[in-house]
Amino acid sequence: MTLGSGGSSVVVPRNFRLLEELERGEKGIGDGTVSYGMDDGDDIYMRSWTGTIIGPHNTVHEGRIYQLKLFCDKDYPEKPPSVRFHSRINMTCVNHETGVVEPKKFGLLANWQREYTMEDILTQLKKEMAAPHNRKLVQPPEGTYF
Amino acid sequence: MANNTNLPRRIIKETQRLLSEPAPGISASPSEDNMRYFNVMILGPTQSPYEGGVFKLELFLPEEYPMAAPKVRFLTKIYHPNIDKLGRICLDILKDKWSPALQIRTVLLSIQALLSAPNPDDPLSENIAKHWKTNEAEAVETAKEWTRLYASGA
Repeated sequence: MTLGSGGSSVVVPRNFRLLEELERGEKGIGDGTVSYGMDDGDDIYMRSWTGTIIGPHNTVHEGRIYQLKLFCDKDYPEKPPSVRFHSRINMTCVNHETGVVEPKKFGLLANWQREYTMEDILTQLKKEMAAPHNRKLVQPPEGTYF
Repeated sequence: MANNTNLPRRIIKETQRLLSEPAPGISASPSEDNMRYFNVMILGPTQSPYEGGVFKLELFLPEEYPMAAPKVRFLTKIYHPNIDKLGRICLDILKDKWSPALQIRTVLLSIQALLSAPNPDDPLSENIAKHWKTNEAEAVETAKEWTRLYASGA
C-alpha cells in the first residue's frame, strides 16, 4: 500500500481478520504442506485452532505430520497467538516438556506484527524444521504427543 | 487512534446519519478506536420468531468500501436458515448484489427484513434449512426458543 492512499490506516478488527483466515484456511494454502482449521465450530470468538505441518524434504522430519494448537486470545492479532506442538518434536524453539513454541527462540512470535497470520507462523515453523540446527536432530518416535 | 483522520467523507456522513436518525429497531455506533468498526443491535421484528429478541452484530467497512460491501455478522446465537453458527449471513447484497449506491443503513434494514422472511431455499445452515422445509412450525418454535435463551437482551 502506498503512502497517502489512506489504505495503510485501515485496521481490520480481530473477528473479521479471523474470519478471513478461516476462509483462507478452508480453501487450502499453497502446496498443502501447511494447513489449519478451527477446533470448535460453535465458538463465535474463534479462539482455538489446529494447525498441521508436513515435515519438509531432506530433513529428519520428512514424511511426518505434525499437529499444533494455536490459541488466538481477545488481543489477537495485536498480540501473537500462543502456539504449541501437539505432536512430539525435537526442535530448538520448542519446549521439550510442553511442546510450546517459545517466542524468545522463534523470531516471528518475538517480533510479532499484526499483519502476520497463522499461515505465516506455520510456514515459518516449517522452514525452521529445515534449518541447519534442526534438520538432523534426533526425533521422538512418530505418533507420540506432548 | 490517528487512523480516523483520513476516514472517507462518505463514511463520516453515513455514521452521523445513523446516529442522528436511527432506523426503527436498529442501532449502530462506531467503535471508539476504529471508526470503520460498528457495534450493531437489531430488534427481532414483530410477527417473526425473533420478536422480543435483541440481536448483537458487528459490522466492518473494509478499505474498498463503498466499492466493496460491508462485512457483517451476528454475535448473538440465532436459529435461522440463512445464518450460520459463526453468525455469518447469506444475503445477496453482501455478496454479488452489492452496489455502492447501498449504505450501512440499507444493509441493516435488509438483515432485519431477512429475520422476518427466512429463505430456506438459499441456505447457509443446511440443517436448519432442512428443518424449516420439512417442519416449519417446529423450526419456528426452535427459533423462538433460541430467541428466549440467547437474545433476551439480559
